[in-house]
Formats: sequence, C-alpha cells, structure tokens
Amino acid sequence: MNELLGVAIAAIIAWLNFVIIDTLMGLPEVPGVQGADIVGRSIKNRGGDLAGGFFQGNILCSPDASAGTLLASIGVMLIGLEGGLIAALFVFIGNRLCADPGFAGTTGALTMTIIVVCFSHLGFTPEMFIVGMVIAITTIQGIHHKTSSKLIGNIAKRMGRYTKLN
Amino acid sequence: MIIILSETFLLNYLIAIVTSIIIAIGIKMPVLPEKPRRFSWTNSALFPTPIIAIGLLAICFSIKFLWIYDGMVLAMIIGIISPLVVKYLFNYVFPNPPVLLEEENE
Repeated sequence: MNELLGVAIAAIIAWLNFVIIDTLMGLPEVPGVQGADIVGRSIKNRGGDLAGGFFQGNILCSPDASAGTLLASIGVMLIGLEGGLIAALFVFIGNRLCADPGFAGTTGALTMTIIVVCFSHLGFTPEMFIVGMVIAITTIQGIHHKTSSKLIGNIAKRMGRYTKLN
Repeated sequence: MIIILSETFLLNYLIAIVTSIIIAIGIKMPVLPEKPRRFSWTNSALFPTPIIAIGLLAICFSIKFLWIYDGMVLAMIIGIISPLVVKYLFNYVFPNPPVLLEEENE
C-alpha cells in the first residue's frame, strides 16, 4: 500500500479510536486531577469549550486512550500481539499511578491492538498507525486549542458526556 | 508485515482470562464495578483482573517462556495468581484514589 495513503487512513482510524473511547469513558465530564481542571478552565478563558478543555487536560495529565493507542501500535510493531497486550498492562499501571481509574487507556490499547493486527492483513503496517496517531494527537493538542476543544465539546454533547460543571 | 496469530497462543490468553474471572468471583470480588462504572475505582472480576492476567502472560510469551503444554499451564497459573494480586496486593502497590475536593470541603 502507498505509504502516505496508509498514514492518512491510519490517522483517521487512530483519531476515531481515541476520541470515541475517551469521550465514552467520560473524559469531557470531569477533570480527574487538579491539573486537568486548570487546563480546562484556561482553555475556556481563551474562548474554548470547557468540556473539550477537560478532555485535553485529562489526556495531558494521565495516559488515556490516546497514549494507549500510541503505545499499543509501538508494542505491536516491536513484538506483535504480545506487545499490544503488554502495552495495555503498562497503560493501566500508568493510569493508576496518575490518579485515573484506567478504563479509557486500557480499552484504547486493547482496541488498537485488535485494529492494528486486523489491518495488517490489508497492507497497513504498525508504523503507519504510530505516525497516524502522532498526527491525530497533534490535531487535538497541538494546532488550535480553541477550535479543537469546541469540536470535542460538540462530540461530547452528541454522545451525552458533556460536563455539568461550570 | 502481516501479523499472524497462533491459535494456541489465543487459546492460552482465553484460558488466562476465563481462569482469572472465575477465581476472582470465587474469592468474592464484585463482577462489575459500581455505577457510574467509568468513574469507579473498585477492582472487579472483569476489570482489571483479566487485563493483568493477559499482560503478565504476554510478558512471559514475549521472552519465549512457555514452560509445559505450550504455555497452557502457565496461562492457568497466571489466571490464578492475578485475582489474588488484585485483591490482596493491589493497595500496597498503587496509590489510593484521590479525594475529591467536595469531600475535602465537607
């Protein structure tokens, strides 16, 4: 498969994987730690959305589905299926050390392991998913916080996970 | 690079998951965390016990440590050990859940 096309499709899959799982697991609802609260309110003060800000603060402060997605891809690239499962265990340990129950990170790592293994039969390599995930996380955390937090806020509203805090 | 999965390995993971869930229920761990589940810190039979079991088994398989019967006995042993670790050793290893600000104010 063409490498650039593969990376583009992998980026879309990785983006959907981590955004859907993180939103379902309630990241936009409450800040897990004080740091996430500060990030969320800072983004809101700059014209962004509070739920989107909490989401960004939470993925900044603990390894959630975004880290799970990236680490599972790296694990599968290095040692195959075992790597993805080890990544899920390590992400869970990291979650618990970072004051997070660990549902989002572990689920993200496990789903990404399954996705990478299945898509390897269609010509996608784990490397494509690693690059794709870096691009996906850059679109949320790296380009424009105001716009990305509003987008996440909209997704959270549609999935019934919008924050009740002010 | 096509990742081919060995049926024996998949069976071993399944054995580890099933054993860990059965043992966890046997030692009276809750089957599911209390609601709302996504914010719950309770260790249950379905989470994180099987995750720890398959993670430990994957570490053993990644260093090619299969022991006897292609790793099946190892899968069962890890399936028995992980619920015990989660129930009796977890709180020594991991920090307690953070206390919420509202609770602190009360």
